[in-house]
Amino acid sequence: MLIDKEKCSGCGRCLIYCPYYAISMVGEVADIDQVLCVECGNCIRQRFAKCGEKAIYDESSASAVVKKHYKKVHRCPNNAIYEPLEEIADTPREIRRFFSNPATSHKLTGVPGRGTEEVKTNDVTARISRGEIGIAVEMGRPCLGTNFVEVEKVTIALAKLGVEYEHDNPLTHLMEDPIKGTFKEEYKQERVISAIVECRTKIENMEIILKTIKEVANDLDTVFSLDLICCFDEDGTIPVLSGLEKIGMTPRANAKVNLGMGRPLVITRESLGED
Amino acid sequence: MTHSLHRRGTDEYLKNDFTLLVTAASGINHIGSRDGMIKVLEAVWEIGPTNIGSNERGTILSGVTVDQIREGFTKVPRVRCNFATKKKAFAAVKKIKELDTGMSVTLSGPLEATLEMCKEYGIKPHSINLSLDVWGKKDKLPSEEVLELVTMCGHGLVGRPLIEETIEKVKQGKLSPQKATVIIGHLCVCGIYNTERAEKLFEKCAPKK
Repeated sequence: MLIDKEKCSGCGRCLIYCPYYAISMVGEVADIDQVLCVECGNCIRQRFAKCGEKAIYDESSASAVVKKHYKKVHRCPNNAIYEPLEEIADTPREIRRFFSNPATSHKLTGVPGRGTEEVKTNDVTARISRGEIGIAVEMGRPCLGTNFVEVEKVTIALAKLGVEYEHDNPLTHLMEDPIKGTFKEEYKQERVISAIVECRTKIENMEIILKTIKEVANDLDTVFSLDLICCFDEDGTIPVLSGLEKIGMTPRANAKVNLGMGRPLVITRESLGED
Repeated sequence: MTHSLHRRGTDEYLKNDFTLLVTAASGINHIGSRDGMIKVLEAVWEIGPTNIGSNERGTILSGVTVDQIREGFTKVPRVRCNFATKKKAFAAVKKIKELDTGMSVTLSGPLEATLEMCKEYGIKPHSINLSLDVWGKKDKLPSEEVLELVTMCGHGLVGRPLIEETIEKVKQGKLSPQKATVIIGHLCVCGIYNTERAEKLFEKCAPKK
């Protein structure tokens, strides 16, 4: 994102809307630090807040949100901030946008957002089949963001264990060598809200992979949120729980459950004719 | 990724926070899925989500109507919404099961309650994404008070600077919990930010009357 300093009124309204403190006042006008900016578009997205027709709260709610149809506008008053799309097109900086702005889709995958549909469509894709686990390491979340130097620390460590990186994740397309887990040099310093390292492996490899992830966490200058995906067994049990207990990793109380309503339902990739 | 499984908070607040995701799978069942997805959208809207929207159009909190969300369906349509009560979330799942559109349905929230619901409705869950928490340089993170509000945004757009300033204004009595919720809620572009929960969290910060 860039600021047209001629247009900037110096109101400073935009500063708090940047999740990564990239906007600051320099003299009388706002300035965007091009190293910190992740091109998420939050500072220019037109924002006017009002409640919907009926859905936000119960009728019994005392909330002003529903009762007054509250409306408030926060926007750069002079349209001084702009997105230099032509300037960043086909440059390494463009990936900041794909990984940070959910309203965009990566050119190669066509999937909006920064990962795959992970468990959300697993009942029809069988991306993770019975007997397997999926690991998603969401680098940079919450709050800190990441560059690909940090991401590479994780991908190199996991590559040594022979994991298979998810083809449909845009991150995999930035790799120089997926076997080694290394990234192309031109992308390494690009900063993004988050990048999701996704891979799958046999369930028996879970312990060594999670131990490796815990170890590499100590070397990072950012944080990550860790996901573990698996299929329910035929009797409804979650097959990874005992293994997690063994290594002292207790899942949090929240989870995302695919309810198995997708059709055609698939349990293993073999039934799709894949290996 | 909606990040919804990583929402932070105590059981008291998480128990009323369910994110529902209905998704067509590209290349598998997306062709002809639009009509079924419209039925799903209309059904969940009728039940009364606390938020609903789409990446393409925005959310009801940013002035988008449900008609605009429907018109904005892409060739691989999706429904994203949040319910602030277990009762409504489960009613939505029950209705979607009856519609039997063949779209993938994912419910994100407290696992124990979700599995009880599955048993009650005769649903055989397929797969699960477990949250194994946050790792790395955690000393750089803000307080839990801030994280509870930040992590409700699936894409990291309801950011730390805005939350910290808004909480401070609520603590000083300069902003009501309701107005604070309006200021932050519309930044979520996909429609899963739980504004009812946000309002309750801000109420905890407000000066006692």
